[in-house]
Amino acid sequence: MALLSKTITAFGGLLLAHACYSAREHTTLLSLRAATAATLTSSPTVAASLPLDIIIETIISTFIILVGLVLGTRPLRPIEWRVWAGKIEREGEEGFTDNSGAVDRDFVGNPFSLLESRPNFVDIRKQRKEFADWIQKGDSLQAQ
Amino acid sequence: MSTERELQISPIVQESVMHNSRTLSNLQSLTASLFGVSAGILGLESYSGFLLYLVFSLLTAVLVYLLRVAPTSLSSGKPPLDTSRYFRSPFDFWTGGLMNGLAGYILTWTLFYGMVRA
Repeated sequence: MALLSKTITAFGGLLLAHACYSAREHTTLLSLRAATAATLTSSPTVAASLPLDIIIETIISTFIILVGLVLGTRPLRPIEWRVWAGKIEREGEEGFTDNSGAVDRDFVGNPFSLLESRPNFVDIRKQRKEFADWIQKGDSLQAQ
Repeated sequence: MSTERELQISPIVQESVMHNSRTLSNLQSLTASLFGVSAGILGLESYSGFLLYLVFSLLTAVLVYLLRVAPTSLSSGKPPLDTSRYFRSPFDFWTGGLMNGLAGYILTWTLFYGMVRA
């Protein structure tokens, strides 16, 4: 996604630079022409006489750069607490990366993680059973 | 329902609010400078220049809505043109960046007007 937005922005930037250069050449040409014909007439302004294709190219290149920049913004985060917490539960930290794949620096994580791993809430019988199963499995492996 | 009661029923995540508003204002400052380049190249004068700024800023907001807000917001059942999933006030979303980017716009506008028009 970052590559796509950068490509689009760069392409629009090229078009805009081309339009800028064309407009500059056009006004230079007009002023040169006016300077050589200065004895005949005096043309004060050369404003609003850009050719149509330069105008169209400027507007379209601006639009392309705009699309590229909007695509390059980071994804927004939900502000309702329940939606945000649900997103953390489902996607973990992958839902909060910026465009290059690194996790955002101000990502808080599960706000209740400290509560969920308290020692008072450890299920000791389940852990004993698991340990016993593991020992049995180890004995059967050794006996083979 | 008063706001405090609403906030107790469905609280707001402050970190997300800050992240979203920071993203939006960065984008709007950046694109305001870009629009100034375009206005300078086109050689626009007073009223038409500011009109271009307004039109393009609204276009930016529409694009941000279409590309960043709408896919997840519509699929979670919100009505169209509703930004309440990501932003607290729709007025701030649609028109908040205007004052923010105006200075950058005028800066690049006068710069490129001078450069292109000699």
